[in-house]
Amino acid sequence: MATELTAEELWQPFEPDVDGPWDLSAAAHLFRRAGFGANRQQLEAAVRQSPQQVVDELLDVPEPAEFHSQMQTLATAAISGGNVEPLSAWWVYRILGTPRQLLEKTVLFWHGHFATGADKVTEPQLMLTQNQLLRRLAFAGFGDLVQQISKDPAMLLYLDSASNRKAHPNENYARELMELFCLGEGQYTEQDIRELARCFTGWEVRRGEYRFNRFQHDTGSRAFLGTSGEFSGEQAVDVVLRQPQTAQFIVSKMLRFFVMDEPVDVVALTAPLARQFRDSGLQIRPLLRTILTSRLFFSRRSVGRRIKSPVELALGLLRCLEGTTNTVGLAKSLQQLGQGLLYPPSVKGWDGGRTWINSSTLLGRSNLMRQLITDPNTRFGRQSLPDYLSAHDLKEPAEMLAELQLLLFAAPIPQRARDSILSLMKPRSEAALAEGLHALCTLPEFQLC
Amino acid sequence: MRMNRRRFLQRTCAGSAVLSSGGLVPLPLLASALRSQAERILVVVELQGGNDGLNTVIPTDDPLYRRLRPTLAVPSAEVLSIADGMGFHPALQGFADLLQAGQLAVVQQVGYPQPNRSHFESMDIWHTCLRKEQQRPDGWLGRWAERVQAVGGDIAAMHLGGEKQPFALMSRSLRVPSIRSLEEFRLRGTEDSEFRTAVQELADEQREKEDDLLGFVASSTSAALTASDRLAGAAKAGQTSVVWPQSGFAERLRTVSQLIRSGLQTRVYYVTLGGFDTHAQQPDAHRGLLRQLSEGISALLAELQTSGDLQRTTVLAFSEFGRRVQENASAGTDHGTAGPMFLAGGSVRAGLHGQRPDLNNLQDGDLQFSTDFREVYATVLERWLKVDSADILYDRFQPLDIFSV
Repeated sequence: MATELTAEELWQPFEPDVDGPWDLSAAAHLFRRAGFGANRQQLEAAVRQSPQQVVDELLDVPEPAEFHSQMQTLATAAISGGNVEPLSAWWVYRILGTPRQLLEKTVLFWHGHFATGADKVTEPQLMLTQNQLLRRLAFAGFGDLVQQISKDPAMLLYLDSASNRKAHPNENYARELMELFCLGEGQYTEQDIRELARCFTGWEVRRGEYRFNRFQHDTGSRAFLGTSGEFSGEQAVDVVLRQPQTAQFIVSKMLRFFVMDEPVDVVALTAPLARQFRDSGLQIRPLLRTILTSRLFFSRRSVGRRIKSPVELALGLLRCLEGTTNTVGLAKSLQQLGQGLLYPPSVKGWDGGRTWINSSTLLGRSNLMRQLITDPNTRFGRQSLPDYLSAHDLKEPAEMLAELQLLLFAAPIPQRARDSILSLMKPRSEAALAEGLHALCTLPEFQLC
Repeated sequence: MRMNRRRFLQRTCAGSAVLSSGGLVPLPLLASALRSQAERILVVVELQGGNDGLNTVIPTDDPLYRRLRPTLAVPSAEVLSIADGMGFHPALQGFADLLQAGQLAVVQQVGYPQPNRSHFESMDIWHTCLRKEQQRPDGWLGRWAERVQAVGGDIAAMHLGGEKQPFALMSRSLRVPSIRSLEEFRLRGTEDSEFRTAVQELADEQREKEDDLLGFVASSTSAALTASDRLAGAAKAGQTSVVWPQSGFAERLRTVSQLIRSGLQTRVYYVTLGGFDTHAQQPDAHRGLLRQLSEGISALLAELQTSGDLQRTTVLAFSEFGRRVQENASAGTDHGTAGPMFLAGGSVRAGLHGQRPDLNNLQDGDLQFSTDFREVYATVLERWLKVDSADILYDRFQPLDIFSV
């Protein structure tokens, strides 16, 4: 069906029954992408609403005040020791507990986009400040986000703009602003970078805060991206944002993050979306709404067509089964698997897709699943795995498997795999069920979402 | 755990490589030619971030060097002299010793035309030998691996490290494994044979052909299990008297030495050392990195000398670009162009190769390359790994005279 639609039509709202069923399985897909995953109760509540209502709720209803203030308290405690690792665990905890999954998912997107690493920015307060900035503006205007991130102390330190002087402009931020944040590689010249860098001279960090040092600011005229003038740093950012490539660049990246790893003919496919984004003045919230309620999003071209990142893999398992665990250990494991929160590998963030997969990470992923499932700190709905399953009226291994297929899998489990897992689970002891769940989580199908 | 041949063939990627590589040389001939080469080994070391070549192999006598680097120039008295007014950074004592012992070759001023100063783009160029306007599905070592992977043999190339797999190793038909340590490369829960059997069956299960992504994950899972079995044996290789420095980089090289000594037939090992993007406060950071590099490679060669594997091993070190000649105001340097490459081992022609950096002849403030990196790759492919390089590098490059064998 989907393949016959035009790009314009693919971004029209999904119509249940015409485009496909709006059932538990479709809702599970929505939550895996617009969040990390949903448990049965949440899925049942979702199918009583329309998909648009579910997405609106994810986008528009703010976090409950109580949750928000609990997280603030925990964050303060996390940074009090002076290192960033506890803050990484705090974010894992936040993702696990938030009632507003789409917000955290989008913050993760922006963290990968404006990647700043605690291996270099070792002051936890600065990493927290940036994380909160991304959360505050996650659904806002992209222009606002770029303006504020340009003055964010963690970013300034990470890209060495904090030591950007008039006599010797440091080109790092100017380059990445164009290459990685707004335009994409090759949409500018080396000369553009040198000129743009002059606009940011005098942007400093003092006592953990942004400061403009007018004595180090180069006030001369500069010419870049086909325009010239005595631009301030803010005006220079606006020049970059006004480039027509900006909308296309961001929209394509969102397509890969929220919809599919390997789109074909991206420019044509995203043209209507880029136009909407440009016309709205680069507003993020309506863009996300269009993406997550689209016919394309609920089609076969999207479902199961992404490889889970380590965060999606581990937190997905827990969120779908109401799991809680030792988040300090989990944050460390995620780092070992290549997706430490607050520890992106470089300013380029995570490439995603097939780059998540190699022999080392596949074994690591499987081992992490086993560790999570068998860790005595891990509880499912505050119970052991067998108690949790039986509290949900799942007595026979076959029933359990059907439920796990619904909650955890975007692709069908092959028949032979089904048989060997059922035989592993047959004794129904805690160890046998853990063994079966671990085997399920080692399946190639489990790596997709 | 023993496996039957059918399963082994199913699970190694070799079968598919044979069918899909479409190499120019008939495979049986290629395979026997390779065996006669006594399994020469290449260890690639990638220096990430753009190593400041000018402060690595230093034109000590050049007054321009000191003029353009008023605070960063290494004082003449500290430079470890090599020849012709050139010298090593003082942290490279290990390299100086290797040079003395006839085990280190330096190729100066390596780069490529129309240099790109983006880390990622320049690294991709080194990895694929292609520009971004061209389709880049694989890397030069991935293409090499496709051509030489033998049926039933060990995997041709391997990446050591937890970071994402280097583009150089990507192949369209082979999955080159990445491992962080031998210890970690073991699937937990496999003490239980029933579980182990189940997991194997899960990975081997036929999947719908149309789903590319799923097929990719499934074949990757099979490859992971195969490599895991083989490495279990390598971990048992014994200790030697060589003292290894304490660093993650040295630890990865040590793992490489264990794998080589275990007799694993893997030919190419790939490790990375990051942190060379020294835009600010360069001196301490750069010194530390060079020391890690020099000490790590020295320990690796010492280990391989002890085990008798030195003659059949070559280490190749490169970075995506050098740095701007003029220092910046942050006691650092910005992205530049050409820089030195290093080849170390028992079969290199030791000393300086290529032209020394010409600071009188800069382009936009950057050094101009005199040796194309693909000439070095061609040398390694033709003279060391003994394969034709033209279809791997997409062009014919004249090999250099760097090997003594």
